[in-house]
Amino acid sequence: MDFLGLLISTGLVSGATYGLIAMGFALIYKSTGVVNFAQGELVMLTAYVSFSLANALGLSFFPLLAVTVPISMVIGLVLERLIIRPMLSEPVFSIVMATVGLAVILRGIVVLVWGSEPLNFPAGLPTGVVTVAGVPFYPAQLCLLGALALVTLCAWLFLRFTRLGMAMRAVAANETAALLMGVSVDRIHAAAWMLSAAIAAVAGVLFAINFKLAPDLWFQGLKSFPAVILGGLDSVIGASLAGLIIGVIENLAQGYLGEGLREIAGFVVIIVVLMVRPYGLFGSADIERV
Amino acid sequence: MRTGNYKESVGQIIALSDSKAAWAWTAVLIAALIVAPYLVGAYALTLMVSALIAVIGAVGLNILTGTTGLISLGQAGFLAVGAYTNAILLTDYHLPVWLSLPAAGVAGALVSIVVGIPSLRLKGLYLAITTLAFAFIINHIILYAERLTHGPNGVFVTGAKLFGFGLQRGPALYYLTLALAVAAIFAALNLLRTRIGRAWIAIRDHDIAARVMGIDLVRYKLLAFVVSSFIVAIAGALLSLQIRFVNIDVFALILSIEALAIIILGGLGSVAGAVLGAVFLSYLPEAIRLVLSTVIDPSSPLYTNYVYEIRGIANGLVIVLFLRFKPDGLIGFWRDARKYWSNWPLAY
Repeated sequence: MDFLGLLISTGLVSGATYGLIAMGFALIYKSTGVVNFAQGELVMLTAYVSFSLANALGLSFFPLLAVTVPISMVIGLVLERLIIRPMLSEPVFSIVMATVGLAVILRGIVVLVWGSEPLNFPAGLPTGVVTVAGVPFYPAQLCLLGALALVTLCAWLFLRFTRLGMAMRAVAANETAALLMGVSVDRIHAAAWMLSAAIAAVAGVLFAINFKLAPDLWFQGLKSFPAVILGGLDSVIGASLAGLIIGVIENLAQGYLGEGLREIAGFVVIIVVLMVRPYGLFGSADIERV
Repeated sequence: MRTGNYKESVGQIIALSDSKAAWAWTAVLIAALIVAPYLVGAYALTLMVSALIAVIGAVGLNILTGTTGLISLGQAGFLAVGAYTNAILLTDYHLPVWLSLPAAGVAGALVSIVVGIPSLRLKGLYLAITTLAFAFIINHIILYAERLTHGPNGVFVTGAKLFGFGLQRGPALYYLTLALAVAAIFAALNLLRTRIGRAWIAIRDHDIAARVMGIDLVRYKLLAFVVSSFIVAIAGALLSLQIRFVNIDVFALILSIEALAIIILGGLGSVAGAVLGAVFLSYLPEAIRLVLSTVIDPSSPLYTNYVYEIRGIANGLVIVLFLRFKPDGLIGFWRDARKYWSNWPLAY
């Protein structure tokens, strides 16, 4: 029981990172139809920006997050304006490749500015172990889980009840129809990038506090792909849940099946899931007509 | 007086090129490539071999992604299968190269069936990420099947010989690669003008419409996977001959992405585009190095510490700018130039 509980709890913690990153993917895919391959790099960039802010201003955890999130939204907006907006009329796949190029650039910039050595992120959080339901957690881990719950709730409320959220769903359902109904698709795309960057900032800061801040943080973006796919590319809430599922499955596979399976367990799961449901667990199927 | 370009038989319509000049220039190019090893230095020859291997890989991927429209991020996996099969057969089983090269291709094709069958229902980005998943899994298997693949230690390729010519140094490997590249290009071009090629293009344009017209989707999608991976795995085998040491680090995800960048920068769906893109991206790091060394002092600490990052940024910038300003790829330049030339002095 103890071993199992520990595996599940640490699985939930790493799964929460996947969930946050996957929500960023899903938000952009839902409203623009583009998989943003630079999402992991966005997470890394915002984490490093936040690191510099924390050192310069000496902020503790919550004020730091409050400062980082608006800055990351500006970063998201700038990237959208510079790279995605001018390519609106191009095939989706070209835009996806442009985000791949963007990813390479961001990776280089991070190493140029902050160096390649791992950095110690000043958490500003207590480090005593807290026991929840018999399972020990660090406060930073609880913060990560709490952040996932909060961001998921906010995303749900936002998409369900706000004007912008509804417009976003309208664009996702049918871009042309939404445009004809007076929704500014441009603005929706910009908003999706900004919100996605905001979620990336939350993910980046919390990942850096929980694990470490190093220039290989971008790889978490790739590791979150199973969560995005499992949830369905266009399901924001599904992505968050799928992140937790993938995190736990990876840990269980590592713990019970064999060394090194953590790296691929998620990918094996999505291949099996996609064979049964080609649009993920919560994704919506495209109805195609000739 | 004839006023236009008339095709009077099916043969003329499906001919690879109706222009004698095009054939003549192709012959000149091949002749130039044949004498090249005697004119350039060893370093330039190594670069040319890399470029030709990239050409083979890009032509292979182009069949799957450009022609059939199945986006694959699993290129690195297929390259790894080819490279490891070749290296293991040569080093551990002492097979001759003329057997191990086709065996590598066949191994790639077999693996592609395993990848292809679960992928048949998937489309677009879902398919891209599934093939990415397979590339991860292939790398994992290679890393942990130590008795066959030597795991993290990698495999050295030593003493490869083909018909008595050592492939370790000199132009022998270059000629082998050149011959296979020419063969791959002509195979791809010829496939595209048969029933199979037309079926692939129909699937890319609209798979449901293609199915309605009687194209067996399962068969032709799998065929695209098999043919593409066969060629890609051969490219992987040649890569193992060139670098002489295969290790899992060679086949990271970035290789799959670079492969896609090659065919998109070249011009998706066109064999000539794949070739142009492969040559362009193979020489891009060299060009960037040359430009950078004139702008930044090569001995300055900024340059020596961060040369890898600076090159990476420049590489990414070129890809982004290209997609932004020339989305139809390098082949688009050629088409524009041709149009300009034949319509001059009119705009169109």
